[in-house]
Amino acid sequence: MARGRNRLIAGITAIIALAVFCTYSTFAVLGRGFNFDHQIQLAGQRYGAHGQQTMEQWRNLLQSLQGSGRTEQVRQVNDFVNKHLTYTEDIDAWGVDDYWATPLESLGRGVGDCEDYAIAKYFSLLILGVPVDNLRITYVRARTGSPDNPTFIAHMVLAYYPTVESEPLILDNLVGNVLPASQRPDLYPIFGFNSAGLWVGAAKNSSGSSTAQLSLWRDTLARMHADGFE
Amino acid sequence: MSIYRQLWLAIIGLTALAFAGSFGISVYTARNYIEQQLFMKNVDNASSLAKVLSQLPSKDPVTVGLFISAQFDMGHYQEIILTDPEHKTLFEKHYTGTETGAPAWFVHLIPIRAEAGEALVQDGWKQYGTIRVLSQSRFAYQALWTGVRELATWFMLAGLAAGALGTWLLKLLFRPLTRVVDQARAIQERRFISVDEPATPELRAVVVAMNTMVGRLKGMFAEEASRLDELRRQANHDPLTNLPNRAFFMTWLQEVLQSGEAPASGSLALIRIADLDALNTRLGHLKTDQLIQDIAAGMRELVGRSENRIAARLNGSDFALLAAGDDDAALLAEQIQAELARSVLAKWPDQPEIFHVGTVPYRKTEQAGELLATTDKALAIAENKGPNSSHSLDSTASAGPGLSSDAWRRTLTGALNDGRIRLERYPVLAAGGQALHQEGTARLQLEPDGPWLSAGEFMPMALRLKLSATVDMDALQIALNLLATGDSDIAVNLSADSIVDWSFRDAMIDILRQNPERSRRLWIEVPEYGAFRHFDAFRSFCLQLEPLGCKLGIEHFGQQFGEIAKLAELGLDYLKVDSSYVRDIQQNAGNQEFLKGLCKMARNFGLLVIAEGVQSEAELSTLVELGFDGLTGQAITQRAKG
Repeated sequence: MARGRNRLIAGITAIIALAVFCTYSTFAVLGRGFNFDHQIQLAGQRYGAHGQQTMEQWRNLLQSLQGSGRTEQVRQVNDFVNKHLTYTEDIDAWGVDDYWATPLESLGRGVGDCEDYAIAKYFSLLILGVPVDNLRITYVRARTGSPDNPTFIAHMVLAYYPTVESEPLILDNLVGNVLPASQRPDLYPIFGFNSAGLWVGAAKNSSGSSTAQLSLWRDTLARMHADGFE
Repeated sequence: MSIYRQLWLAIIGLTALAFAGSFGISVYTARNYIEQQLFMKNVDNASSLAKVLSQLPSKDPVTVGLFISAQFDMGHYQEIILTDPEHKTLFEKHYTGTETGAPAWFVHLIPIRAEAGEALVQDGWKQYGTIRVLSQSRFAYQALWTGVRELATWFMLAGLAAGALGTWLLKLLFRPLTRVVDQARAIQERRFISVDEPATPELRAVVVAMNTMVGRLKGMFAEEASRLDELRRQANHDPLTNLPNRAFFMTWLQEVLQSGEAPASGSLALIRIADLDALNTRLGHLKTDQLIQDIAAGMRELVGRSENRIAARLNGSDFALLAAGDDDAALLAEQIQAELARSVLAKWPDQPEIFHVGTVPYRKTEQAGELLATTDKALAIAENKGPNSSHSLDSTASAGPGLSSDAWRRTLTGALNDGRIRLERYPVLAAGGQALHQEGTARLQLEPDGPWLSAGEFMPMALRLKLSATVDMDALQIALNLLATGDSDIAVNLSADSIVDWSFRDAMIDILRQNPERSRRLWIEVPEYGAFRHFDAFRSFCLQLEPLGCKLGIEHFGQQFGEIAKLAELGLDYLKVDSSYVRDIQQNAGNQEFLKGLCKMARNFGLLVIAEGVQSEAELSTLVELGFDGLTGQAITQRAKG
């Protein structure tokens, strides 16, 4: 009994020590308070070694991109997310018709559909310090198939505006290269959004509120918040 | 603060607290809910509007403005603002009304702050701007305000109901307490009463303690009273027969002959044992004592329960019977002979000659010594008549008014109707010399311009004709009138018959109630004899008068001293000690000790003790030394005049 208790106390001490260490290893340099170690730990717990490994790579990438040019950051993030996610329909990945995953969820499991790609890229760039006004997750109508026999699908991409007035760069998972919008005649924009006005820290009307779960987007923001994204 | 008031305060406090808590929670949740709903509506409407504007093929300012205006005018919005990507305003609409649906202070106190909904508008791939939508909160305020008012109303009603219920419950619970409080109050007013023990254990403990205390006090009083009574007996009574002794009788006789209140005429009888020495020799000491006691028993029978008769043993062989108010001396002689024949002669058939009786009628103006001498003459004549005989002499004085009962009724009623009655006032001073009150005794004028009769001259007739209550009521009215004009307190004597008379009591209480200020300066006294004879009536009389504030006392106190403990529960204010105890008190060591004890004991009850009929300075100074609180009588009247 006494030994069991000692072991228990040792375990608790270790956890506390870990928690203290994690708190201090937060990347304060990244404009937003984002605790990578916590995210990595959660990925390990929830999705196993592979998920943890992907998250570590994600962290390393974002760390290495600190101070790089915006265009470089955009390309690298686009490549990373496209490379580490395998396109999977929501029903197969999450068991529901439509599910918007957080970066932790999609990168941790390594799967996602078009909006999961866009969301992961969106938050990666936010963490790198891109202003929210310069990012829009955009509903687009994408044309696929041959020009003679086109088919249209509902799709979602991330548009990066170098300035708010300028033409955006499109981060897409269908086309590997990051291209200006004018070079993507296959995409027709329908509606764009970002987290402005919704993401006000822990304010009552954003992620913390009970109505947040009623909207897919706000629900995603709420889960980000719950997982430690400040 | 009374318990009921405390309960009400507690209930008000609790209700207010509950209201504040409930108010806080309900307002908080309601406001939260309202803000959430408004925010959702803002977000949804903003994104709908943004989608419509994004799909607008030509985004000229007029078309965009029309779209926004249409949305604003059809809907319920506080404001809709469209800004470009640089956050410069392109178009805006604001609600300009100030109506909020609730009072301004309420809006200020509980502001509803719903976040605006924002959505992005695109023009193809290009950013066009941000639309910001804020809904009207007027209805929300209205709903919140109504809710708060309803809540307040319900809490007020619930608080009132709880208060009423609590008061009722407390009354139920504290019913026993009321009795305890009454007892405590009674003790404070010097009425030592016991109450039934209540069922509540805590209160029972209190009541048991108080009852025990009252019982112990009463016991102490009774013990002290019996000790003092014994002392009084020793000083004033013959040890063998327990009849009053010569000294006591002589004082009494003088009082009866002088006092204004005693009946104006009566008869005196002397009974002498024939040749006591020879009797002693014949029967022996013990048997002679037995015979003397038999005679005393006969004398007591003759006194009976009469207020006006007194019997005494003057010396070894002489007994006296004073019958004030009985003018017919011959009849008295017959009564005595008959009674002694029954109680003495029948028991001692061997003794041929035991007693002789002499009787004489008297008028008040006579001297005690002369009266006794005349009676002795009558006795001497009886002794010459033969064994166990009697003789009555006519008094030297002429007979009284000699009116018939009907004539008395007519003249008395006439005098009372015409108001030929007044109060003769005598000062009563405290031991220190300051005025206590003026004692008023009634004087009546039978005929207009006739002489004023003293109470002793007309009261016996008034009593017999049942007119005493009228006399007392008149006296009371006169006293109240005097109180209105003068500033000294006034004492009024009431006869025992008036105390028993319910209609008199009711009328009297009515009058006193109408004059509460004067009632507090009114002293009401009842003769000892009447108070004890109608003790139950007297007790209820005292309890009725208690709340009216007038002072209550007993006059001519002293005979019924053994029952003084009974007075403990009446809440009396004073005792006037009969003048027979006061006369020559400086020479009577026995009575001095008795009166000293009486004063001490009365002080424990909170009673003032006043001496009646003080005639000399020597009496006065002795009485003050003994502890008397007040004095009245000739010496006092003279002192007050001087």
